[in-house]
Order: sequence, then C-alpha cells, then structure tokens
Amino acid sequence: MNRQPRILLTLVLVAVIVGTGYVIWTDLAKPEFPSAETVSSTAKPTRGGRLTVTQRSEPRSFNRLVSLSAATDVFTQLTQARLVRVNRATHELEPWLAERWEASADGLRFTLTLRDGLRWSDGAAFTTDDVLFTFRAVYDERAASPIASSLRIGGQPLTVTAPDARTIQVIYPAPFGPGLRLLDNLPILPRHKLEAALEAGTFARAWGPATPPADLAGMGPFQLVRYEPGQRLVLTRNPHYWRRAADGTALPYLDEVVLEVVPDQNAELLRLQSGEVDMFQQALRAEDLAALRPLVDQGKVSLLELGVSTDPDVFFINLRDRYWARDPRRGWIVRRELRQALSHAVDREAFAEAVFLGAAVPIWGPVTPGNTEWFSPNVPRYPYSLEQARALLADIGLTNRDDDEWLEDEQGTEARFTVLTYRGNLVLEREAARLAEDARHVGLALDIVPLEQNALVDRMLRGDFEAIFFGYNATDLDPALSKDFWLSSGAAHIWNMAQATPATPWEREIDDLITRQSASLDPTERRRLFAEVQRIFGEQVPALYFVAPRLYMGVSARTINLTPSVLRPQLLWAADTIAVTP
Amino acid sequence: MAIYCVRRILLALLLVWIAASTAFVLTRFAPGDATFVEEQFLAPAAREARRAQLGLDRPLAAQYAGWLAGMLRLDFGESSLYARPVGQLLRERTVNTAILAITALLLATVLGVPAGIYTGRPRSGLTVPLVRGVSVTLVSLPPLVGSLLLVLLAARTGWLPTGGMTSADGSASWAAWLGDVAAHLPVPALALALPLAATLERLQSRALAEAAGEPFVDAARARGVSSRDALVRHAWPASLAPLLGLYGLMVGTLFSGSFVVEVVTAWPGIGRLMVDALRARDLFLVAGAAAAGAMCLATATLITDVLHAWLDPRIRERA
Repeated sequence: MNRQPRILLTLVLVAVIVGTGYVIWTDLAKPEFPSAETVSSTAKPTRGGRLTVTQRSEPRSFNRLVSLSAATDVFTQLTQARLVRVNRATHELEPWLAERWEASADGLRFTLTLRDGLRWSDGAAFTTDDVLFTFRAVYDERAASPIASSLRIGGQPLTVTAPDARTIQVIYPAPFGPGLRLLDNLPILPRHKLEAALEAGTFARAWGPATPPADLAGMGPFQLVRYEPGQRLVLTRNPHYWRRAADGTALPYLDEVVLEVVPDQNAELLRLQSGEVDMFQQALRAEDLAALRPLVDQGKVSLLELGVSTDPDVFFINLRDRYWARDPRRGWIVRRELRQALSHAVDREAFAEAVFLGAAVPIWGPVTPGNTEWFSPNVPRYPYSLEQARALLADIGLTNRDDDEWLEDEQGTEARFTVLTYRGNLVLEREAARLAEDARHVGLALDIVPLEQNALVDRMLRGDFEAIFFGYNATDLDPALSKDFWLSSGAAHIWNMAQATPATPWEREIDDLITRQSASLDPTERRRLFAEVQRIFGEQVPALYFVAPRLYMGVSARTINLTPSVLRPQLLWAADTIAVTP
Repeated sequence: MAIYCVRRILLALLLVWIAASTAFVLTRFAPGDATFVEEQFLAPAAREARRAQLGLDRPLAAQYAGWLAGMLRLDFGESSLYARPVGQLLRERTVNTAILAITALLLATVLGVPAGIYTGRPRSGLTVPLVRGVSVTLVSLPPLVGSLLLVLLAARTGWLPTGGMTSADGSASWAAWLGDVAAHLPVPALALALPLAATLERLQSRALAEAAGEPFVDAARARGVSSRDALVRHAWPASLAPLLGLYGLMVGTLFSGSFVVEVVTAWPGIGRLMVDALRARDLFLVAGAAAAGAMCLATATLITDVLHAWLDPRIRERA
C-alpha cells in the first residue's frame, strides 16, 4: 500500500473516533437532576389511546398465587384486583372490590362489604364465592403458593366466611397491627375459571403463559388479548371494569396497554428516546438522566422524581459464629466495632457523588426517608471520621504491625476479607469498589468478588460467605409485613438467617419488639416500638447502609395523569388513571 | 459418498448429544437453582415444595436418565422459567433466529464477497485501503458495541424500529406480517452481518490474490483470456474453497451465538432464550437450547462438508 493513503486512512479513522468520543462525552458530562417537584403535563385526561411500556422479562405464570416474579406482579396489577388496596402514593389502605369494612374492637374480626353488581372481564358475576375460592386456593398445600406464608399470622391461616351474598368476614388468629393491609397482597381470582384446576391438584400449573387469553378473567382495568412470547403482551380495556373517575368517566382511560419485552436497559432507554415506547419500569440510572436531558428540553420526555428509594443496597458481614469457628479472624470479624468503624470510614456524601452522581441521600439504617410512615431520624449515626474508625479498630486489636498499609491483629493476621457482589450490576460493583477504597484508608483490605446472581444467592443461603454487598427488596414498608428480615428466625435475616433461637441479646430484643409491634393495634405505639428497633439496629449495625438513591423515571410527554410511587411498580400500580394525549 | 454422509450424520448426532449433556450437567452443578429466580428468601418449606414441583429434588442420575429418555422421543421436558414445553419454545425461537441468521448471511455474502473480489485484485488508489480499513474495524468491533451503535443510529434518526421482531399493531395477513418483520430486520441483521461481511471480505481478498497467482490462471491468460475473465472465471471459483469452510462455521455461529445481538435488539430468538435459561438455571431449556445450537452447527458443517466432497473428488476418495 502507498504511504499517503495509509496516512489519510489513519487520519480519517482517528477523526471518526475522536468525533464519536466527543459526542458521547458531551452527552454524558454534567448530569443535571430535576427539582423535587413532579414534572408532568396537566392536560385533562380523556379516554382512548395506547400506552407502550417496556419490561425486562416475561411472566412465567398469569397466576400471582403461584408466581412472585416482577413480570407476573405487573400483569396482576393490570388485570386483577384485591378486596382492599394500599395506595402506593399515600400508603393508605383504600376500598377496592370491598367498598367498606368494619373491624371488631379486639382487631380480630373484619367484616367487608363487596361492591354491588361487579363483573369479571368475561362478563361472569363476581360473588363472595370467588373470594372464598381464592383463600382456599392460596392455603391449598398442593398449590404450594409462595404467598401463603405472608397470609398467616403466627403460622395460622385467616378464617374467611361469607355470611351473605355481599359480605365477607375475615377472622385473624391473633391481633395484627397492619390489619387488612395484609390483603393487598392477594388478588381475587375467578372461581369459575380455576376451580377445576384446584380440585384436580393442578392449580400450580394453571394459567401458565401458554394459556389462551380467553381462558383468563380478571377484575382489573385491563384484560390480555394477545401474548407474543419473547415480544410483548397486548392488553385492552376491561369492558366490565367498575371504577369511575371523579367526573364520572368510566375508567380506565387507556384503550390499550402494550408491554414490550426488552431485556436490556440500554435498549429500553433508546426506545424511549426514539419515541417507540412511553415508559419503562425501572428507575433511571444516574447516567441515563443526562442522556434524556435534551429530550426533556425539547418537551418530548418528562422526568418524574419519585422520591428516595425504600430499598437501599446493603453491605453485611456473615455473623454466624459457626462460619468463623476455625478462622484466625474470628476474634474481630464479627465484632460490632468493626462494623461501626466501617460506617465511620465511609464518606457518604462522596459515596453518593461517586456512585449516583449526587442523586442519593446518606442513610444509617434499612428504613430510608422514602418510607415516610416508619422512618425514624433518631438512629445512631456514624459521621465520616477516619480517626474514630481507627480508634474503634484499635479497640478490637487491629493496628498496623508491619510496613504495609493494612492492619493486623495480635496474631499477625491481616485485616482482610472478601466481599461478594452481583456481577453485571454496575451500581453494586461501583458501590463495593467505593467501600473497598474507603476501607483502605483505615487499613482494612476488602477483596471484591463479583459473582453471577444465582451463585451469590446460593452462597448467601448456605451461609458460605465472608461479606456481601447486594440489593435487598423489602416485602412491604410496614415492618410487620417484613418480619422475615427483622426476626432472628426469618429467612431474610441476611447476616445470620433462620436462627433456632436468637444468637445475641440484641436480636432477642428486636424479636420481642417486632412481635409486640406486629400485634399492637395502636399506631402510635407501633411507631414507638419500631423506632426502638431502628435504634438498636443502628447501635449494632448488623448490616450497613450508606446511601439511598433518589428515584427518577422518564416518560413520554404524551403520558399524563400519573400517580408515581417509590414502590414497585412505580407507575403502573395506578394504570387505570393513566392517560395519553392524542 | 453415501458412507461418508452416514458417518458425518452419526458424528453430528454425537456432537448434539455431547453438547446437550454437557450443558445439562454443568447447569445442574452450577451454584443456585431455578427456585432462586423469583424469590431469594422463600421460607425453606416453600422452597423445598417448589424444588419438588420442578423435579430438582431428584438425584442427577435420575434426572439425566429421564431427560435422555425424553430426548430420544423428542420430548425435551418443560421449562421451569416459562412453564411451557421446551420443544415448543425451541421451535418458535429457532424459526425467529433462522429468519435473522439467513438474512444476515445473505447480507454478509452480498457485501463481503464482492468487496473481497474487489480488494483481491491488484489496484492503486484509496478505495482498496479504505475497504480494508473498514473491514478491519468491523472485524474487531465487539457484537455488543456494533448492535448498540446501530440501535443508537435507528433511535436518533427514526428511520428504522430500534428493536423487536414485529410491531404491536399485529398483522392482518401474511404479506403484512412479512413487511412488518422486514422493517424490523435491518438493525439486528446488519449488526450480525457487518462483522461477517468483513471476515468474508478479508478471506475472499486473500484467497483470490493467492488463486490469481496460480499457474492455471497464468495459463488462461496465456491462452488469450482477458485478465478480468481469468480472475472471475478461473481464479474466483478456485478461491471459494476456504470460504465454503467458513460458511459452515458462520451458520453455526449465527444460530447459536447471536445472543448479544438478540438481547440488545430484543429479537425473540434462540440466543436470547439461552441467556434467559442460563440466568434462571432452567435445566431442560439450557440443555434443549444447547442441543438446538449444536444441531444447527452440525447441520451447517455437514452441508458444507458434503458440498466440499461433492466439489472436490480428493475428499470423496479419502472418505
């Protein structure tokens, strides 16, 4: 090849690479976050139109009673209804299929009155038999419903009867603070469609993804009309939906909702940018905000700030004594001082800046300011202080005994342990790296090992880990509905799961407080007891929380009348009132 | 020739069995199982019940024997992720991947081979180094980056749909469906085809340059055949042998290895199915998808080997 063409070609390629780099850089640089107010059109909603939403995965069942997947949950929100509903925006319990209810003075008996004249999406009449059937199905052992345990109080099921054609009576085996909130987790299913499967013992397989849409029925605002595996679910208005807007307009406003299956978040973002979809169901990553900024400026996309996340990522050390029994680090690795020192060593403001580009708030416990009902500001805090961290570490015998940068204990064992995190989750990988960097400043060596999600969960459930940094989603904002996390016997008591008896006095104390809090019917007393739980948790720091991200979502400007929530599904939980402009 | 074909078919079946069995066993031994997909913190009793439902409580030997017996009846078991028969899922997704793969292969051929013929001839000027430069860039471009760039281009310009296989409106007729699919094909097909076209260009260019120097091409020229005809009619057919070998591998790669492109462009093909199955530890689906991928690879190499043997008597004689 001649020398001149080679030089020219090289120059052209360099120019292309530099140009592309400049465009990408100017797109990503200087992200700006919108103010806290919700940005959305105030146009009057009207009936009609289609809303296109992406989702990462497909439902493995259309039956919420047998599947906990996020895709099944969204599908259920759109197609099914509960007796009562927790309003995701106000966190208040509100009438739904039941138009009112009364509670007995002892809090054990609830009498619910169903709305009159309701019909399933296929036109069949909705009756108390459907409610009784649903309870029978969820407690059926052959169905092995994964939500059955959440509908038991102290291991006992609720007793449900129908004294007349419109009345349902629910009897709790023991007083339960959240009361009927428990029923928000239970969509009512059509007896006429599913009873045969329950009788035949095949309920667990009923309403699988291959079920023809005509075989489904629901009380939600939409009904499935087409499922194209790997591509999309198409839902249309339920002609028998019962709800009306304040001005009397029959809901839902939308004619159609399309759930497009897009497994990759970058591709989801591009589809929103190109106007092919109206929203996606994940909160935006910090860097996505910058990418959407030009479209916001052009009025094509609206940014919604939902508030502070209620599901912050968590770091915890394995606190099972058994795991460390033969380990030379056992003298200090499970000590409270180590965890407190780590908390002091992390500069939370810098952490938020580095990982979330500033769109996060510092936190000191699992209950974030996003959980307005239960957040207690009076928990012990560990301000950024390397001196205090070093002093705490010295208290447990960790000092620098040689020339390297790491601390050692009295036997000369280096203060080093392994932190597992999810491979491919960039936020978690960044958080773990940031923690390791901050820990290095006080002489603690944290080796970050990203693992594929299933492998990490397997290690966690077997208790075979030193420390983990991962994302944990609480079941509910009410602590009485997240007892698996708080109780020492709980399956989600992540630092030391499913203990036969509480391993420590403070865990015993938390067990007692949570049990009393769960059984109390007095809201003030419940808040007081839970504030005490948070205080003990803050003192013992069995799990460390550093920041909670602010959640943002992007929606097309044509999407109006949204009621955002920090809880999943953040926008589609109130799909019946969403509208689009023509 | 018949013996050669029978032997190759038996080898292909052996390859499918080994690939599927290896996938089955490795997935079974991988940490975690299908019950972790939906809920990490199921109560132990509920998790055991779910494991029993999925047959995960059985020993590996019993599971494998049951699966193998099913395979012999072409029953691939049921997917724990989709709660549907694996055979049904594979049929749907293989058709979708075939549409994408065949289009990509045609595009790669149409772009790569003529470009290789063009650059394989001795010429002066800027065009040849430019084509070579583009080829080298495309060959070294990872599929993820390539597909994201194309999706970005589609999103920015609005000329093409950025993903999916059809639009949500549905199609009233076959013709409308084909038109819809054709509109969605360019982005994923180009993402797959461009690196392959570049590979073909490089290979064709080199093979043609080598063939052009062979004595039989010189002899043709000496007989008065024009340089262009000597190249196209004599050198080019001789340069096709290495390309033919590459096609077998390319078809196999397209069918079994297009998962990155399928994930980014949301194409509902077998690659994406495999990724989902692996993430979900869906034992039967992983094994089924591996078998389907191996089957495609084996079939493609079988066809190219048979074509080779048909074109080259030496191979037939050796067989």
